[in-house]
Amino acid sequence: MEERKEEEIFIFIEGDKIDLLAGHAKWADLTCKWMNDPKVRHYSRNPWPRSLEEVKKWFEPSTSDNGTRDFIVFTIYHKKDKKPIGTVGLNRINWLSRNANIFATIGYPEYWGQGIAGEAAELIIKYGFEELNLHKVFSGVFDPNKRSLRTAEKLGFIKEGVSVQDMYVDGKYVDVHKFYLLKEDWLKKQQTKEQ
Amino acid sequence: MMDTHIVTFIEGNRVSLIPINFNHLDLYIKWENNPKVRRYSRNSLPFTKEVYKKHLESLQKKIPEDIPFEIFLKKDEMPIGICELSEIDWINQVSNVGILIGEIDYWGNDYCTEVIRLLIKYAFEELNLQKLKYVAFSPNKASLRCAEKAGFTHEATLMNEMYIDGIYYNSIFYTLFKKDWIKTR
Repeated sequence: MEERKEEEIFIFIEGDKIDLLAGHAKWADLTCKWMNDPKVRHYSRNPWPRSLEEVKKWFEPSTSDNGTRDFIVFTIYHKKDKKPIGTVGLNRINWLSRNANIFATIGYPEYWGQGIAGEAAELIIKYGFEELNLHKVFSGVFDPNKRSLRTAEKLGFIKEGVSVQDMYVDGKYVDVHKFYLLKEDWLKKQQTKEQ
Repeated sequence: MMDTHIVTFIEGNRVSLIPINFNHLDLYIKWENNPKVRRYSRNSLPFTKEVYKKHLESLQKKIPEDIPFEIFLKKDEMPIGICELSEIDWINQVSNVGILIGEIDYWGNDYCTEVIRLLIKYAFEELNLQKLKYVAFSPNKASLRCAEKAGFTHEATLMNEMYIDGIYYNSIFYTLFKKDWIKTR
């Protein structure tokens, strides 16, 4: 793994093992690596090769930053190891129906299986419900992705249905499990946690 | 100047709300620059056609925060003004309501109240907003009456906010909450 100098970071949401930060152009190379890494992109379903030049452009201001956004992404920063390790966010935000899709990618397989994506998702769910005032968050997990299925259930997501043969993965059409979480159910769960 | 093809977006009883029409820019700036109209809409700077066009274009966003309409009078088949939901705050679900009847001959017919009611229904039932705001300055009695008739209640008065013809007047803020509006349905 590459050596990186310890750098100044600006925390947006503070977590336990991780913090969520606004993205930064200086991490474009990392984002590019995660996007292209065969193991990572197998799960994040990125089918296109992404050049560094292309990824750098994502960090430039665009007209879509002007006004209300339907896409919010954070960099996941590992507190102990002091480095960015992935991205998490909400996309397809529908401000009328007040729902959004939640996504998370841990860019290094060696950080998988430590509950990091789960913690990142938990922080984003809280942000979505308590700051953005959303009503429902949802997520889709394709069938062989056992780890994400487990994470979704652990987070209190409920299976809403199955989209049959909805994704093409490794030469096969696979089913996608649709999960949802309502704010009211999430709030009840938070209350029982506190008691 | 009138187009024969009218695209209704929200149909009312006497008036309909139709999308802004860039072929009607002359009409819009006629209204905005008219001394009698702009006295109430508090527009103190001259509007050129080009500036107004740019302004309207700037409102066109993927997720709009300002939604203007042309007010179309059904019986005479003509536009008589413009109205809008403006400064929509999608996180807090709050918006302003604004209205301007540009054709002075049509003042006093209470079209304003109907327009506000159409905007309220659209804001609460389609856009899922929870609070609407309406501002008028104190001598604009007709505007205040319209807001009250449409169900708005007084929330605050800000002192000496508007300088009109050499005198400072108060701004009157009116509010309507969705939870209260639903009960009146």
